[in-house]
Amino acid sequence: MAELTYREAVAEGIAQEMRRDPNVVFLGEDIGKAGGVFKTTVGLFDEFGPDRVRDTPISEQAILGAAMGAAMTGLRPIAEIMFSDFLAVCWDIVANEMAKTRYMTNGQTTMPVVVRTANGGGTRFGAQHSQSVENWAMAIPGLKVVAPSSPADVMGLFAASVRDDDPVVFFEQKSLYGIKGEVPDGELVIELGKANVLREGSDVTIAALAAMVPRAMDAAEILQADHGISATVIDLRCLVPLDTQTILSETSKTGRFFTVEENPRLCGWGAEISSIVSEECFYDLDGPIVRITTPHIPLPSADYLEDLAMPSVARIVETIRTSSD
Amino acid sequence: MPQLGETVTEGTVTVWHKKIGDTVKANEILFEVSTDKVDTEIPAPTDGVLAEIAVAEGETVDVGVKLAVLSEDGAAAAPTDSSSVDVIMPQLGETVTEGTVTAWHKSIGEVLTTGDILFEVSTDKVDTEIPAPVAGVLTEILIGDGETVDVGTRLGVIAAEGGVAASTGASRPSSAQATSTPIRNGNGAAALMRSVRNRDSRGLPLSPVVRRLIAEHGLNADRITGTGRDGRVTRRDVLAVIDSAPAIQTGDDSPEIVPLTRLRKQIGDHMVRSKATSPHVLQAVEVDFFAVDAVRAAHKDSWRAAEGFGLTYLPFIARAVCDAIADYPNINASIDGDNMIIHRRINLGIAVDLGLDGLIVPVVKDAHRKSLRDIAREISELADKARSSGLTPDDLTEGTYTLSNSGPYGTLITAPVINQPQVAILSTDGVRKKPVVIEGPQGDSIAIRPVGVLAQSFDHRAIDGAYSGAFLNRLREIIETRDWSAEI
Amino acid sequence: MATKPKAKTKKKPTKSDIANDDIGEEARLELWRQQLIVRHVEQRAQDLFLQNLIKGTTHLSVGQEAVAAGFGVAMQPGDYTFCTYRGHAHTLVRGASMAGVLGELMGRECGLMQGKGGSMHLTSVEHGAMGSYAIIGAHLPIATGAAWSAKYRGTDQVSVCFFGDGTTNIGAFHEALNFAQIWELPVVFVCENNLYMEYTPIGDVTAVEHPAADRASAYGLDRIIVDGNDADAVYRTAQTAFAKARAGDGPSLIEALTYRHYGHSRADPATYRPKEEVEAWMKRDPIPFYRQRLIDFGIDASVVDGLDAEILAEVDRVTEVCKASPEPSPDILHTEVYADGGSAWRN
Repeated sequence: MAELTYREAVAEGIAQEMRRDPNVVFLGEDIGKAGGVFKTTVGLFDEFGPDRVRDTPISEQAILGAAMGAAMTGLRPIAEIMFSDFLAVCWDIVANEMAKTRYMTNGQTTMPVVVRTANGGGTRFGAQHSQSVENWAMAIPGLKVVAPSSPADVMGLFAASVRDDDPVVFFEQKSLYGIKGEVPDGELVIELGKANVLREGSDVTIAALAAMVPRAMDAAEILQADHGISATVIDLRCLVPLDTQTILSETSKTGRFFTVEENPRLCGWGAEISSIVSEECFYDLDGPIVRITTPHIPLPSADYLEDLAMPSVARIVETIRTSSD
Repeated sequence: MPQLGETVTEGTVTVWHKKIGDTVKANEILFEVSTDKVDTEIPAPTDGVLAEIAVAEGETVDVGVKLAVLSEDGAAAAPTDSSSVDVIMPQLGETVTEGTVTAWHKSIGEVLTTGDILFEVSTDKVDTEIPAPVAGVLTEILIGDGETVDVGTRLGVIAAEGGVAASTGASRPSSAQATSTPIRNGNGAAALMRSVRNRDSRGLPLSPVVRRLIAEHGLNADRITGTGRDGRVTRRDVLAVIDSAPAIQTGDDSPEIVPLTRLRKQIGDHMVRSKATSPHVLQAVEVDFFAVDAVRAAHKDSWRAAEGFGLTYLPFIARAVCDAIADYPNINASIDGDNMIIHRRINLGIAVDLGLDGLIVPVVKDAHRKSLRDIAREISELADKARSSGLTPDDLTEGTYTLSNSGPYGTLITAPVINQPQVAILSTDGVRKKPVVIEGPQGDSIAIRPVGVLAQSFDHRAIDGAYSGAFLNRLREIIETRDWSAEI
Repeated sequence: MATKPKAKTKKKPTKSDIANDDIGEEARLELWRQQLIVRHVEQRAQDLFLQNLIKGTTHLSVGQEAVAAGFGVAMQPGDYTFCTYRGHAHTLVRGASMAGVLGELMGRECGLMQGKGGSMHLTSVEHGAMGSYAIIGAHLPIATGAAWSAKYRGTDQVSVCFFGDGTTNIGAFHEALNFAQIWELPVVFVCENNLYMEYTPIGDVTAVEHPAADRASAYGLDRIIVDGNDADAVYRTAQTAFAKARAGDGPSLIEALTYRHYGHSRADPATYRPKEEVEAWMKRDPIPFYRQRLIDFGIDASVVDGLDAEILAEVDRVTEVCKASPEPSPDILHTEVYADGGSAWRN
């Protein structure tokens, strides 16, 4: 058991897979000699060399297109898009090409590619470097969508993503890069599509993702201590495949369901999950499903405003308390 | 008519290069077509003889319209195997899996046009007539009248008129199931839920899980102490009740769960609304029916012979109510917002018991203008109609005061619920012989008299206890002192 | 303004041409065969569309056959083809079956993808036809990635990427050229300049006269223009570019001048093209042009025309096969969304 930061877990996760399989290659902007703008790839260039860890020009379409062409022809590329906001620049390759080619060719092609990207707010970068866009990817048939909340999950889910034969968009929450956590020794692989029940309670069930997971956990402690409300917290970990069985069974146990989302309100992932819960365990519900989200606004830069916008521990506590009595 | 572009919806046949009877080779130019996007020559799709031209030169038709028939053997387009259309048992509802052919309307050899009623079908959900899917000739009936078969079964065959375009490939049925997703909420839960209203008697909402648990365990929400917002019953409250119940329950002891009928739910809604609307006050008087009984006994046989039904206390009471209202008109009223409407007509509602299904209140209109005998007849007729489902909507409206008669069951006193928007209702309870002190010129004596209680609930918004009491007193007086023999 | 063909039709070959022939009868007949397959299958596609047996849209390469044939014959098994929605030709010349192509256009079970892709997405991976991409520009980076893969794995595979003149004005074109050059990848970019992006003349919307060739120098590449209606010329150019790629000397960008006989897609009657321009290019139809070339090089007319008749008969036969093929099974609606073969996104 070692303690790693989320950031170190990214590099260690990539290294684990590159050591295991020579067909794993890695490309992106500033990922090689520079070690990544978030220092998430430090040491990889030195260990694996310029043929496997390739610095690219600022050409997001070329980065993902090249990764796709390589994936179709025998390699298992990892491509970094520095900020998830930049996915909008190369969304054609993600949404039209990687996601649909297997279906359009009726299974003639396989697309084992991982698109890593730094996602989400909390770093005061403003509206074009802070978006939480995992819901974009969730909306496209053919993609898998992963968003870990802890160093161990980063490593384990990353390994599973690289070994997966489908295109995976791997959202690293950039405000979590500095957090520390225990990571088991030895090879770590965590199956995609398995939610993690971090805390079991009897009154409410909270589903959260990535940076919202630690906030939901803090909120659950306060709800218990100050208000006598006992909360279950589910870390979804993956949006596709989605572990609906865990969501439904944990909701049935408490009768109340809350989502905590960084996505702006409209069509955030919680909307889809809420719809599933209301359709499939309505008769286990003891009150309305409530979504706690960022408002439907671009994220502002000023720390005061950004903190107002994103779901905070206090807002989670207050929302759950006032809708639980 | 081919679609000559994504947005083209129609085309004009400009020239036919072949005439009927011409032999045509595949890919030979057959005709020319003009659209708003393109003019072009259209080749024949296959070898054959031009058997029919359906759209003449110069005509403009929609994309997809049949322009001509190419016959492979040169024969005119006669029904062939390739142009036959199966008649199948339709799926008449999502959950219907089979149907019974009740009657074929056409026989073999009959010519059909599209939409002609072909046969009738009966399922557990619906009975309906099925039209012919295509024009043609009914060539086969495979499933006869009275037979029950699965949805999708071939019932017959129609030789379609014209013929089906060759080489369009075998069509496949669309697969609705292929796009459905499994739902965890079983029908069982939904059916159970319907038996529990979504609010309790205080009007507080009951959540889906509370309703399910109440239904599953046969509980009454009103008997569960709510700890939620405003005292709502929560899931936890229901679970506490369930947990505290005697632990051992064998299957045979478990409650039977019967969904409420529509009528029961309507009654429930009405009663809850009335109780929530009107502050009910109950007052009762004890009435000596000696005078009434004397007349009933005297005319018992002749009445039954003449009318076909027995002479009960109720028409006497109804008649007396009309007369008492004449003295106390505010009893015969309704409340409408800030106004009280005092009715000149006295339309008496008579509650008729329908057993477990509930009760219904038909109305004797203008009772004040009717004789005791007429009132008695009308009450009898309305009760018969109520029990044979023969009441019309008109029989149920315009009531101004209501009588609820529990007397036949020997009840002592009943607190009736006001039939909104009326302001009072009278319960007529059991009449029993009792020792009664009679005051007379010779002093007090004790006599055996038929005595019963008349109990009135009134709306305290409309009237007060003194007025209601005076009305009841007048009512008693009329019943006890009138010369009823004159009324018969 | 009418755009006349720039490349002049070559005079008859001289004795020296014939004596020093670098192509040979076998390759020429193969070039002829491939052009005929494309021509007859695409004409049949147009006919089937007029008969309402092909729905949706189709983009034909009729008139541009020499480009696909010239590159197709020069390619080796194992090489990769990436093409656009106008990709019937490029898929056929790699050996994909006519029934697979026509069946796909007709939405039948016998189609290459059983109707899941359609005209704009023809793919036959077993023949190296790695897909037809319907978003302009997308496949240039993808073809570049396949070349990267080939180089990384140490094979001598070449990745060939076909696209139209309109593609040269989208960002992905420029990103891919730079990328391929800095990594010295074995990819050959082939711009088929048919003078119109969709409905608009390419010259009206492009800063340079030759939309591909005039941009080559920006990426350190040679300026290469070839007569796209002369299969021999295309074949020779392809061989040169492939040799460079296989030698590890990096990518090439080739602009092939050609002309489409039909409009952009089935919805387009191409009425915007000047009559004299169309007539001038029709005189340079690559099919009769190449027939004469074969005869000039001494191949018997009966052999030349016999091949034509043979392929037309095969297209006729295949057409009936496709017409008889059923519509796809509804079961495949939900298959192959994910690598497990299904479409389950949840448990």
